Amino acid sequence: MQGGLIVATTEWIPVMDDASLPEGGMQSAYPRGLNVVIARVDGTVYAVSGACAHMGCPLFTGSLAAGILTCPCHDWRFDVRTGEFLDAPEVRLTVYPVRSENGKLFINLG
Amino acid sequence: MTVETRKQTLHYFFAKVVDRLGYKFTPDEDLRDFLLEQEVLLEQKHGIPFCPCQPITRERAHNMTLVCPCIPFHRAHYDAMKRCWCGLFVHKDVTDPDSLPQIPASEVKRG
Amino acid sequence: MPNIIMYTLSTCPWCRKTKNFFKQHGVPFQFIDYDLADEATQERIMAELDAHGANGFPFVRIGETVIMGYNPGRYQELLGL
Repeated sequence: MQGGLIVATTEWIPVMDDASLPEGGMQSAYPRGLNVVIARVDGTVYAVSGACAHMGCPLFTGSLAAGILTCPCHDWRFDVRTGEFLDAPEVRLTVYPVRSENGKLFINLG
Repeated sequence: MTVETRKQTLHYFFAKVVDRLGYKFTPDEDLRDFLLEQEVLLEQKHGIPFCPCQPITRERAHNMTLVCPCIPFHRAHYDAMKRCWCGLFVHKDVTDPDSLPQIPASEVKRG
Repeated sequence: MPNIIMYTLSTCPWCRKTKNFFKQHGVPFQFIDYDLADEATQERIMAELDAHGANGFPFVRIGETVIMGYNPGRYQELLGL
């Protein structure tokens, strides 16, 4: 393969065992090398960009409470269900579709 | 990382954020350069690129509303001025930033 | 000439402009750079800023009048320049 990282795909990429993600928990994953945070909120699994929209800090080292992911660097807060930055919804994290199949979580980078 | 390199890095990160908020970097190059340099020096001192024109206290929640670009946390105030407090960012339609005065938050009617 | 005291930041270009305005007009003033002050002074300045609803610097007191933000027109008016 020549050139850089290719992330544009319609493929569903396995990222982790469904059972390894507890309710209210989050984990980092790197499908195709892309930094993604995967979280389970009220029984539903969501995936968002793992780099803060502010200065690119690693969001998985932050905290998650009631679906709100707080960046560890400067406390920017994002709703993992929509990707929205709570203090300015124009700023958002990319949201990726997730599905569960045969005990595995798959993500689609679109 | 040199101060100049870090200034360029902050510029890269901040430009993406403020664009979505309807702002841009001030066209006053001297002011932009000075403010970015101050932010790099503040980042070297505190670990965080704070606004160079607002007071850092011992209260984290307050201080986090002063991390550049702090527009999201002072939106009504800054939108009324068409600039942020330090003037690093102005509304996209602004071509003459010198025409925009600093108006204290207490004098801006909340929309 | 009224007493002039200002609270400023060493990192703030508008604070520098404010100081320069008074210097250029030959008007004596006192100032404290908040970021270079000791903790007790910082707390006293913050209490004063909060009492006036001030969000940032410069904070200038000309006599009994407080001007928040860089406002040369207002300085001129108050000083009769």
